[in-house]
Amino acid sequence: MERITIDPITRLEGHGKIEIFLDEQGNVSNAYLQIPELRGFEQFCVGRPAEEMPRITNRICGVCPEAHHMASTKALDALFNVEPSSAVKKIRELFYEAFYCTDHTVHFYALGGPDFVLGPDSPPGERNILGVIHKVGVDVGKQVIACRRRNHHVIKMLGGRGIHPVAGLPGGWSKAISEEERMEIEGIARENVDFALFSLQVFADIVLANQAYVDLIVSDAFTHETYYMGTVDENNHVNFYDGKIRVVDPNGKEYVKYDAKDYAQHIAERVEPWTYLKFPYLKNVGWNGFVDGIDSGVYCATPLSRLNAADGMATPKAQEHYEQMYETLGSKKINGNYTPVHHRLATHWARLIELLYAAERMLELSKDPEINDPNVRVTVTNTPTEGIGSVEAPRGTLTHHYKTDENGILTKVNLIVGTTNNYAPIAMSVKKAAQSLITKGTPITEGLLNTVEMAFRNYDPCMSCATHSLPGQMPLEITIRDHNGDVVEKQSQYIE
Amino acid sequence: MKTLVVGLGNPILTDDGVGVKVAYEVEQAVLATSRDDIDVIEASAGGLRLMEMMIGYDRLVLIDAFSSSNGHQPGRIHQLTFDDLREISPTQHSTCAHDTSFVTAIEMGRTIGLKLPTMISIYGIEVENLYEFGDEPTPAVAAAIPEAVAAVLSELHLN
Repeated sequence: MERITIDPITRLEGHGKIEIFLDEQGNVSNAYLQIPELRGFEQFCVGRPAEEMPRITNRICGVCPEAHHMASTKALDALFNVEPSSAVKKIRELFYEAFYCTDHTVHFYALGGPDFVLGPDSPPGERNILGVIHKVGVDVGKQVIACRRRNHHVIKMLGGRGIHPVAGLPGGWSKAISEEERMEIEGIARENVDFALFSLQVFADIVLANQAYVDLIVSDAFTHETYYMGTVDENNHVNFYDGKIRVVDPNGKEYVKYDAKDYAQHIAERVEPWTYLKFPYLKNVGWNGFVDGIDSGVYCATPLSRLNAADGMATPKAQEHYEQMYETLGSKKINGNYTPVHHRLATHWARLIELLYAAERMLELSKDPEINDPNVRVTVTNTPTEGIGSVEAPRGTLTHHYKTDENGILTKVNLIVGTTNNYAPIAMSVKKAAQSLITKGTPITEGLLNTVEMAFRNYDPCMSCATHSLPGQMPLEITIRDHNGDVVEKQSQYIE
Repeated sequence: MKTLVVGLGNPILTDDGVGVKVAYEVEQAVLATSRDDIDVIEASAGGLRLMEMMIGYDRLVLIDAFSSSNGHQPGRIHQLTFDDLREISPTQHSTCAHDTSFVTAIEMGRTIGLKLPTMISIYGIEVENLYEFGDEPTPAVAAAIPEAVAAVLSELHLN
């Protein structure tokens, strides 16, 4: 059996890599995505006061400390059994929307976008944000950096620190917003709305106007019919900060809607012998392998999944674009709701719709009369026992679960991080793309491998909190071996 | 001339945060002087996020964990220039899984006309354990911290 190895994660041995096995005819027989798991996080936390967790967990990952900070703060609300005031919830949500504006921006322009702007076959040295600037213009780069800077400014203003926020308290937030700050944030939110609309226009001009890309998006190689998960508000609209977790089946029918605290009744984890990381699945559907369909407990939790799991967006412009996406990609409208879009590459589009929603919601919150409320702290008096908190991280539903003794000292810690939800769907996508694209007699080119890798990249996978370690560099390595395991061909590239 | 000192890494992941620990000590030394031309920060990811922190500075001193693929020697300190980084394997965090590489981010910043440091000096400390959570680096890496601090302070003319 020939063997191809794609190593998009790191040059270090033992880190995540994609392995593609060929049969004797040269077709793909199987493909695996392997991600190692780092050790000792629970052990590190047990014995510490629970209220330290928002400041510990925000260090798990260098990419989305804000998401961990928020899930952890909400777990403390539950642990100390204290309901935050409406103003506190709004301040937290405002902070969180600013984070979404930075995070979704970097994915589209630096990670996912270059495949489309430059083309999947373009040389890897050009297929990055610098290449995007060369092709689209310097102004795009300026806008990306300006967007990130102004939102990092808001994150620092509200979160207390630039990178590792510290403002989350059980039932509260350590800092109120002055009128001067509110006015500044309102201005920033307006700029975010303009930027999100601009980004959707870039997507329309570059991706949707190119039939070859539309064909790629809707092609079978990048399509899977699974369950979808996302947090929704009381109207079943997408919400990143709070709500109930809703799961829809592959036909779009609501399968279950539950409170985050009940996650263990609905989610189980599958262990496979070939990887350290576990595969979450829907417990009550059951694990039936890495397969599509209504009988398979595999679910997906991404921007596209959140849109699929909801009935719409809570803000007007995002709703317009939401409808446009479902209409364009052939969704049916049944009882007023769109059936799911299963084309995984549409996740890039969904991510930009979420960017627009985050910006619009940020603007709404910045104008909310309650946002200036100076009463943002509460005295906690209840004896802690157990608390579960969840938010939508950009990469999927993020759940923190803590147990403590009566003094609030941690005795148990469990986290389900965003990317982990998608481990099974990512593995399935990589395999299907490889099977569709690598067939007997097809030359294995760099562009072909990159197209396989697009199946992986659209999930915005962030291994840094699944594995807790960032790579030194990210080569895409392919090794083809003959029946004896000897290398007959080797190619590599660097991806960004 | 404004200088930014950045400790890069995760201080609760055993050796991964060695750069941050060096930066803490450098910060103490800077605070003990009246120098106001040096800012010391920690950072957890490379790429655009790191580049954006450097806007407006003339000089950057970056301290990071370093995984060497040959001659593995935990605690060994490597001093690199930006051009070195362009040529060889970057340090542990200068590329981020969810961002561009550090080199691309700097080149992008320069392309769009941002004022970024022209002098870039990188200290990479070879590490051993990046896979387990813990406050303390492994002994060989911990032992390298004073030497790395001294090297940075010397570059800043602070010792």
